[in-house]
Amino acid sequence: MAELILDKRSRPKKGKVWPRPEGATNVREYQVYRYDPDTQENPRIDTYFVDLDDCGPMILDALLWIKNNVDPTLTLRRSCREGICGSCAMNIDGANTLACTRGMDEVSAGPVKVYPLPHMPVVKDLVPDLSTFYEQHKSIEPWLQTKSPTPDTEWLQSREDRAKLDGLYECILCACCSTSCPSYWWNGEKYLGPAVLLQAYRWLIDSRDEATSERLDNLEDTFKLYRCHTIMNCTKVCPKGLNPAKAIAEIKKMMVERKVA
Amino acid sequence: MAQSSNKGTATFIRQRVTGALNIPLIGFFVWLIVSLQGADRAQMVATFSNPVVWLLMLALLGSALVHMRIGMNEIIEDYIHTPALHNLARLANTIFTVAVGAVAAISVLVLAFGG
Repeated sequence: MAELILDKRSRPKKGKVWPRPEGATNVREYQVYRYDPDTQENPRIDTYFVDLDDCGPMILDALLWIKNNVDPTLTLRRSCREGICGSCAMNIDGANTLACTRGMDEVSAGPVKVYPLPHMPVVKDLVPDLSTFYEQHKSIEPWLQTKSPTPDTEWLQSREDRAKLDGLYECILCACCSTSCPSYWWNGEKYLGPAVLLQAYRWLIDSRDEATSERLDNLEDTFKLYRCHTIMNCTKVCPKGLNPAKAIAEIKKMMVERKVA
Repeated sequence: MAQSSNKGTATFIRQRVTGALNIPLIGFFVWLIVSLQGADRAQMVATFSNPVVWLLMLALLGSALVHMRIGMNEIIEDYIHTPALHNLARLANTIFTVAVGAVAAISVLVLAFGG
């Protein structure tokens, strides 16, 4: 059966309450998921108090403030801090998003709850293991494939055909969508998930690509594609405002057209 | 590219087609039930002996049961991962569908032809 509840070893327990910053008057409480694989202990939820007068406005600013000023062992991925690299994807206030582009003022009143991306193995604290996700991305062969002789200059494309890639090429592979998808939770090893399927569609719809038939063959599978039940969590959480659910529907449409043609 | 089962699209089409068919057919069925409210067996037989009625009833049974089986199989695919249990659940789903279909179709035909 699908694992609908966490096993006992994975259930988070109440963790340490770290001291409030001395003299701070403008403070916000953060509850952060902590897990250290080197210990035999369950994950725990630590409580921190962030001095907002000494910290930037984003959730990532607060996490880095905690790391710099309170607890240097707090582990998270981050790089560009402007929504381009996708490294700081995590579950904030119950929804997957990027810590760098989510403002503290966007999170409802009360403690800010920060967890790693759901239903993924945790490497440490807020760092999920995305190996399977990257393997799945590799499986769709996300590069231009052609059979025609290579032209002397670049592969040309009309403006209209180029416009078909808008809303697809912007994906930063942060995995917010895939890890918010219940179908991906239950069948994450067999279902490709919204991010990878959006990328698959990005190459299917590219007028320069000449492997459309092979790409559709690769996707025609009860699990790889058809576990999508149009739940739409993917579209709801995408921090780049993309619509993976629509891309998946377009792939299904291509499959049907190919079948009935 | 990785191996695929090359299955899924035919089921997807069947699911969508039966889903669309079910809308008018279930509308007809609801109308039939309401129109037969308080009817005795003789009136039921008279209604069901009309070829339009029993043919539409058989079409509804076929469409709804195919749709029901696909829907339950989707749930089994989603949640039951143990191979033996998975196959058993799928088999049980098929047997249930065939059994319900057979009993319902015979009932309709008895009313239509048997009196």
